Amino acid sequence: MFHNRTEALLLALPAAAFAAIVFLVPVVVLLSESFRSPAGWSLAAYWTFFSEPLNQAVFWRTLKLGLQVTAVSAVIGYAAAFAIVSLPPGSKGRMVGLIMLPLMISPVARTYAWIVILGRTGIVNQALHGLGLTDAPLRILFSETAIFIGLLQLFLPLMIISLISALENLPRDVVPAARVLGANWLQIFWKVILPLTREGLVIGGTLVFTGSLTAYITPAILGGSKVLMLETLLYQRVTVANDFVSASVIALILVVMSFATNLLLKRIATARART
Amino acid sequence: MLKQAVALSALMLLAGAAQAQEKTLTISVYAFAQDEYKELLYAPFEKTCGCKLVIETGNSIERLAKMEANKASPVIDMAVMSTADALQASRAGLVDKIDTAKLTNFDKLYDLARDPNADSMSVGYTFYATSIVYRTDKMKIDSWADLLKPEIAAHVAFPNITTNQGPPALYMLQQAMGKDSPDLKEAIAAVGAKKDDIVTFYVKSSQLVQLMQQEEIWAAPIGRFSWAPFTKLGLPLGWATPKEGQTGGMNVMVVTKGSKKRELALQFMDYWLSTEVQAKLAEKLVDSPANKEVKVSPDVAENITYGAETAKSLKLIPAAVALDQRDAWLKQWNSKVGQ
Repeated sequence: MFHNRTEALLLALPAAAFAAIVFLVPVVVLLSESFRSPAGWSLAAYWTFFSEPLNQAVFWRTLKLGLQVTAVSAVIGYAAAFAIVSLPPGSKGRMVGLIMLPLMISPVARTYAWIVILGRTGIVNQALHGLGLTDAPLRILFSETAIFIGLLQLFLPLMIISLISALENLPRDVVPAARVLGANWLQIFWKVILPLTREGLVIGGTLVFTGSLTAYITPAILGGSKVLMLETLLYQRVTVANDFVSASVIALILVVMSFATNLLLKRIATARART
Repeated sequence: MLKQAVALSALMLLAGAAQAQEKTLTISVYAFAQDEYKELLYAPFEKTCGCKLVIETGNSIERLAKMEANKASPVIDMAVMSTADALQASRAGLVDKIDTAKLTNFDKLYDLARDPNADSMSVGYTFYATSIVYRTDKMKIDSWADLLKPEIAAHVAFPNITTNQGPPALYMLQQAMGKDSPDLKEAIAAVGAKKDDIVTFYVKSSQLVQLMQQEEIWAAPIGRFSWAPFTKLGLPLGWATPKEGQTGGMNVMVVTKGSKKRELALQFMDYWLSTEVQAKLAEKLVDSPANKEVKVSPDVAENITYGAETAKSLKLIPAAVALDQRDAWLKQWNSKVGQ
C-alpha cells in the first residue's frame, strides 16, 4: 500500500508520539517511583511491601481469585461458545447480543444489583431457605465468594466472545474427522479443539485475568475492606495514606502479573499444540 | 476560511485577556452538594464581590498534595478540610494565620468552631455529631460497646478506619471499654475479634441506606449529615444516645500561605459564615451551622447537628491526636481487621 517504509512510519508517528507522551512516559515515571530510595535505586520498597503479612495475604488472594475466575470462565465459556456457534445465524446474533448486554450496563448499577441478590433477604437466600437447604441465611455478601461471582459475571462475556470467534475459525470438518477416527469427546477437545482455538483462549484468558486484577468497583462494593484486593489496597494507599511509593509497587506488581499470565497462557497453548 | 480562523483566534485571545483582568478566587472544597453550594453560596457571593470563583473539588489528600506541590506559587487561595488535615497543612507551612478581626461574623460562631486547633490557622464552618443509627425494634443501644455484643455484631456495618467516621467511632468504643489511650489499640483489637461477625466495614455512608433497607444491617455508626435518607425508609430507626456520649467531627476553612487574594478569601469566608448563608445551607441539610445565630425549624434541626447543647456535648478527637496517630491506627487496623 505504501511506497516505502519511511512513508508508513511517518504516518504512524503522530499516534506513536501521542501514546508515548501521554501514556508511556507518565507510566514509567510513576512506576519508577517504586525503585527510588534515599540511597538511590533499590528494591527496598518491594521488600517492605512483601514483608507485611497483610500485603502477602492480599497478593495471594488477588492472584487466587484472578486464576479462579479465569479458569471457571474458560470452562463455562467453551460450553457457551460451542452452543452459540452451532446456532443458525439469526439466533446466533441475538445470543451474542444478550451476552454483551451486561457489558453495556454501568458496573456500579450491576454490582449494586448483586447486593440485592446475594443479601440475607435476597433471592439466593430465599431460594435456599425455601428448598430447605439452609436454616439461617448464608452470609455471601462481603466475602471472596461475592467478589468471585461479581468478577465472573463481569468478565465471562469477554471469554465467550473470544472463544466464539476462535471456534468460528475452526475448520468445519476437523471434529467429524476426529470422531470417524475413533476419538472420544474429551480427546477431541483436548487434542483438536483446544490447540486450534488456543489463540482465542489466550486472548480471552488475558482479558479476564487482567480484568479481574484491575477491576476496582466490584471488589470495592462486594468485598469492601473486609476482603481487600490489590486494587482496593492500592486505592487505600493513595487516598488514605498518601503513600505513592507502595501504590507504585502494587501497580507494578499488577502489570507484571498481567504480562506473566499472558506469557504463561501462550506457553501452555503452544505446548499443547506441539504434542 | 483562513481569515475566519484568524479572526476567531483573535477573538478568543481578547476574551482570554478580558477574563484574566477579572478578579478571581480559587477555592478547593469537598465534592458533595455542589449544586446547593452554587445556588446558595457561590453565585450570590460572585454577585456581591464582582469577582469569579474557581471551584476545585476533591478529597483532602489530593488537596493537601496539590497545595504542597504548588507551595512556591499557590494556585488555591482558600480551602476547606477536616481539623486534622488543617493541622497537617499548618505544620507543613502551607497555610497562613487568619486575621479574625476581618471576619465580621466570627463572634457569632460557637466556641468550638472559633479556633479548633488553637493555632489561629483555621476557622470551623460546620460540625457534625456521630452516633449510631439502629433498628429500635431489634435492639437497644445504651453504649458504644453494645455494637460488639454477639447478637448485635452480626447486623452491624462499622465504618472503615479510612473514613471520617472510623476513628471517632473507635474513639468512643475505646472509652466504652474504659480505656483512654489515643492509639485505640484495645478498640481496634475488639473490632478485629468480631470482624467475621460484622457485616462490613463501610467506606461510603450512601451504601448503608440500601443495606438497612434490605435488612442486611440493623445498626451502624454514622455522621448526622447522612441521617436524613434513613428517616425516609419507613423502618423503625432511632438515633442512639449512648451513655459515653456522641462524637463527631468538624470542617474548617484555611487560607493558603502566599495567596495574593487574602482579602478576597477572607471576604468569602466571612460571607460563608454569615447567618444568612449558614441558615440557607442548614435548611437544605447541606451543612450544620457553626454560626450560633442561625435558627432553623424543628424539622430541620431534627436532621442536622444543631444547637449550643449539642455543640458542647460532642466528644471530638483532638486534631493533633488524629494526625499523629493516623499511621499507627491504619497499621493496627490492617493487622487486626484487614486480614
